[in-house]
Amino acid sequence: MNATILHGSDAIRVTDASIEGEALWLTPDALARTTGWEWTPEGLCRDATCVPVPPGAPWVRGSGSASRIDLGGLARHLGRPVAASPAHGVWAIGESHEALGDRLRSLDAPEFTLPDLDGRVWSLRDFRGRKVFLLAWASW
Amino acid sequence: MVTVALDSAGAAAAGEWIRAAQPTHPALIDAHYDLATRYHLVNVPSAVWIDESGRIVRPAEVAFADNRFIAYTKFDMTRYLDAIRDWVDRGEASPHVRPPAARRARLGLPGAAQAQAAACFRLAEHLHAEGHAEAAVPFFKEAQRLEPESWCYKRQAWALTDAERFYSTTFQDEVKALGGRPYYPRPDFPPDSPPDVSKETAEP
Repeated sequence: MNATILHGSDAIRVTDASIEGEALWLTPDALARTTGWEWTPEGLCRDATCVPVPPGAPWVRGSGSASRIDLGGLARHLGRPVAASPAHGVWAIGESHEALGDRLRSLDAPEFTLPDLDGRVWSLRDFRGRKVFLLAWASW
Repeated sequence: MVTVALDSAGAAAAGEWIRAAQPTHPALIDAHYDLATRYHLVNVPSAVWIDESGRIVRPAEVAFADNRFIAYTKFDMTRYLDAIRDWVDRGEASPHVRPPAARRARLGLPGAAQAQAAACFRLAEHLHAEGHAEAAVPFFKEAQRLEPESWCYKRQAWALTDAERFYSTTFQDEVKALGGRPYYPRPDFPPDSPPDVSKETAEP
């Protein structure tokens, strides 16, 4: 079954998902592809961080490569916000408020990458060494 | 200067404004409010000052270039322009570069409800863009309920559909509902600044 996972500006499609009620069951491969979380004997790992999977966690079925992970359940376990429209096969996963807040409190300007009208992509880091007056506006 | 248009319709909404302005600076488009989430921007125009090493020296605040919306800002924005020039000239020695503790106090950090609102909004604008306009409305409403302080969540949703039909409200109704509370928080200027001025104008 097809599903779309929204994460930041990304919209990632998966073709081998299973939707049951509010749950989106993903294979370990699909989970790694869409979220970066790898299913390992130590638990779920991304970069240098591993999160143990509690025994009997309701968001895990099966074991090994036959495992299925409910994306929403995992996100909530990690303290991340989830909004879903199962009827449309769409799940949005946000950053935790702790992560968002810690980054702002550090006063290191959050990195971003966005396009201009010509499709050229710019990142904040492109302006290092110069002052940046960053102005957000809208047409509405 | 780097400008970022917060517009779910992307270039289709922001493009004509950018082309008309013929900018000499990078004019970017954020169709998914990624910048708004990362910097916790709740209204426009909002500006952040970032120094040469990538540090925030002034967090997000209202940033008009003139006084045409002074009824909403209640603040003489020409002083803000002077402040930008002073920072460009003097860098950290400018009094408008506030101490780190004062910057953090102005951050308006998101809590769990605001983080959840961002996820709901992201889902809503995706559903709308995919042609499911009516299915998007409950998620736009949930984002607005979770973070009523965000004018971005309100005004973007209203702009995509008929605000009175789908949200039973208008911009003017919502401003009236503030009951005298400020539409824009006052910029963080030193206490010896001269008093603000006010007069009536149309909506920003």
